[in-house]
Amino acid sequence: MVEKLWSILNKVTAEYADIRHETKNETRIALNGKELTELGSNATDGYVLRVLHKGGFSSVAFTTYDDHEKAIATATENAHLMSRFTTQPVVFATTQVVKDHYVPLLDEDPRKVTMDEKLQLTRKYNAIALDHDKIATTNIAYVETTREKNFVSTEGSEIHEELMTARISGLITSREGNLIQNIRVAAGGSHGFAILRDREDDFERKMRIAVELLTAQPIKGGRSNVIVNQSMGGVFTHEAFGHFSEADIIENNRSMRQKMQIGAMLGSEIVSITDDPTLPNQLGHYRYDDEGVAACRSSLLKDGMLVGRLHSRRTAAAFQEPVNGHCVAEDYRYGPIIRMGTIFIEPGKDTFDGLLDRLGDGFYILDAKGGQTSGENFTFGAQYGYEVKNGKVGAMVRDINISGNLYNTLKNIVAVGDDLRLGQVGGCGKGQMNIRSCHGSPHLIISNLVIGGV
Amino acid sequence: MENLMAFAKKESDQVELYSLEQTANRIEFEAAKLNDIQSTIESGVTMRLIKDHKLGFAYTRNLQDGESLVRNALASLKGGVEARFDFPASVNPPGIRAYDERIKEARNTVIVDECRRIYSRLEGKTKGQIDVTALTGANRIGIMNSAGADLSAMNSYYSITVNILYPGTATGIHRTLVSKAFQSVDDGFLEGIVELYNSGAKELNVRGGKMPAVFMPESMYALIWRLQSATSGESLYHKQSPLAGRLGETIFEEKLTIVNDPLDDTKPGARIFDDEGVTCTKFPIIDRGVLKNFYYDLCYASKMGTAPTGHGFKTSRWSGETISMRPSCALEHLTIEPGDTEFWQLVRSVERGIIVCGTLGAHSGNIPNGDFSIGLSPGLFVEKGAIVGRIKDAMIAGNIYEVLKRVRGIENRVHPAYTGYYPAVLFDDISVATEN
Repeated sequence: MVEKLWSILNKVTAEYADIRHETKNETRIALNGKELTELGSNATDGYVLRVLHKGGFSSVAFTTYDDHEKAIATATENAHLMSRFTTQPVVFATTQVVKDHYVPLLDEDPRKVTMDEKLQLTRKYNAIALDHDKIATTNIAYVETTREKNFVSTEGSEIHEELMTARISGLITSREGNLIQNIRVAAGGSHGFAILRDREDDFERKMRIAVELLTAQPIKGGRSNVIVNQSMGGVFTHEAFGHFSEADIIENNRSMRQKMQIGAMLGSEIVSITDDPTLPNQLGHYRYDDEGVAACRSSLLKDGMLVGRLHSRRTAAAFQEPVNGHCVAEDYRYGPIIRMGTIFIEPGKDTFDGLLDRLGDGFYILDAKGGQTSGENFTFGAQYGYEVKNGKVGAMVRDINISGNLYNTLKNIVAVGDDLRLGQVGGCGKGQMNIRSCHGSPHLIISNLVIGGV
Repeated sequence: MENLMAFAKKESDQVELYSLEQTANRIEFEAAKLNDIQSTIESGVTMRLIKDHKLGFAYTRNLQDGESLVRNALASLKGGVEARFDFPASVNPPGIRAYDERIKEARNTVIVDECRRIYSRLEGKTKGQIDVTALTGANRIGIMNSAGADLSAMNSYYSITVNILYPGTATGIHRTLVSKAFQSVDDGFLEGIVELYNSGAKELNVRGGKMPAVFMPESMYALIWRLQSATSGESLYHKQSPLAGRLGETIFEEKLTIVNDPLDDTKPGARIFDDEGVTCTKFPIIDRGVLKNFYYDLCYASKMGTAPTGHGFKTSRWSGETISMRPSCALEHLTIEPGDTEFWQLVRSVERGIIVCGTLGAHSGNIPNGDFSIGLSPGLFVEKGAIVGRIKDAMIAGNIYEVLKRVRGIENRVHPAYTGYYPAVLFDDISVATEN
């Protein structure tokens, strides 16, 4: 494959070009209620060519080798167009030329597990999720994605890296009369099939929560002090703060860029945030990004102060900051964009019981149910929660959405737990779906949060 | 394709081949700067087999390796996914014109010039950051099956979105123009965005409570999403629809008529057959407040013992690879019929209320139940019939089966928006939570 990629690159007339070929294998097994709705394995492949010429930069994705000359012509024409009209010529930060072949160690390679065994395991967890007369249906799926990537650049880099992601996840829906509730369930990771075994308790616990939601009261809208669990804290870290750490999000927005200056005090002094794709055995692990840059651990917020951000080669040069290997594509259909790898709030010192004592009255909000940001503002759903009175966890509440402003909320984190946990399944939709997006947090107390009930 | 069909037929009772070829371009300007141009050239094939009422499914990008495609489909067949439906025979669907040859004129140089012209027209009219995104492309979809269908359709599209951002945010006022070929935006289009943007320049702390709300077309999807879920044959089959058994009932205010019209070829994306080869029709969902229909693909129509309605599409709410998707029940061509009130007249009728110009978190919350709880991104505040600024940090919440009964007025035109073509709609008594 490397020779084939060189044969394409050698036809490009530009100052710099790189090409990535990926073969993506996907195995899917899906159950909807008791019915099997999908089963199969398929492989697809394609190329992404990127061209930098006289400060103009452009990319083309194509799926057939026969189209490579058309792709070269399109990418070159687009780069010339960019060059003609750009006000800031693109320059790439320098990086090491790499020749490497990286296949991460797996705890049981899912490709060696038979389809029948995968089906039986998925059926077993689905049966647990269905095992209550108040459960209306389930949508449980096994999804295994492997990407075999080959990257070649005119600078001389030649990298082969394999990424594997497997999960059993989905939705459990309960119903009582006209009231419908649902809860998400997930097990997975990027370091092998073993993490999917022996997860019966997780599926049973989530099934019981789905049933309990039918008798929970809707949360009352307004402002409240809350404890958020690791999943909610992780989504906040990713959605509200993490995306602002991506240089491409802020680079053309003058006022946001002013707020996100290195050295700015953005949060409470007890909050530190790091992104580290090099952490092994985590969903977000990779060695090289899709520009061939080695991934680095990046401290982003240290004791409340902004100390770093995530870059591509282009933005690192534009910001005159270090390149750190965070430019990643969903697959062969896309040029890479700046993404988080494994982002988390560093653990503090408080135990969960200590956090409850400190909260006194408020809510304990658990498990993210989708989140979205727009500039400084965010809105996240939570799957369920509990009232907290005098430091004691009370009745369950449902229909929870929280909303706020990033900077105010970072300052309103008044306590950080000692129990960091990272997510096992991801799905960040910044233009492309990153199923390896990993985030986490310890339990946190956030004061004065806007809660929008129904 | 014929050889592939013949080869697969030997191994199964029924065969379907779906093919897709497409090219696409995306041009982004941010803050008057040409930021990115991306292009895509792609093709692929999906195969479905039915044998002994079991379904096999496979896809590939490599059209030369048909043998692997059939092998994967046969392997999939062994899983035992039930298929109690037949691929449809060929029909003579009505002719539409979904492809406009002039799309070839929409070269990236032409679009870059148009974006620059837009900046020159807006210069000095607003202090906000202006972003412009243009998409253009064409595709050819083919469906061939063992019942004799051999369908082909070409589509072309062009869209341009102008977004003006409020300072310090990524939140702004935006509007999109869509067409089957390149089309310049007119001054009225741009002035409409600027007028709305400038009226919300001042950031306000507002007391929450129940108040009227104008949902802009760009926000209506947050409500329609819940209705799409409830009227899907899939939701009905899996007992997730709160509308089960309510066909013919008045469920919303009688001003509301919601139609799925794939045959309207004045808009890009018109279709005469769905992604399973079933003929598309103009299809009412809500007619003057009355629930008229549930919509089905082949699979869920067979499960529910009814006829398919031409709503089997390879689509997903999130990004996905078309050839890798199975057809599922989907409303791809929704329109809310316009009312009789001009937009600013709707605004003038509000004594104290909000305008929902964008939403945050529409995908979270209990969608099957019809609940929504969303951030305003942005929300404008109206006092005594005039917009006085934009609201700082606010959420709105409700349930569509209550809110859509409280329609006070509907704008007299529709605009392209996410998931369909919608007018602005004024609702009474929307619950608004703010900092105060």
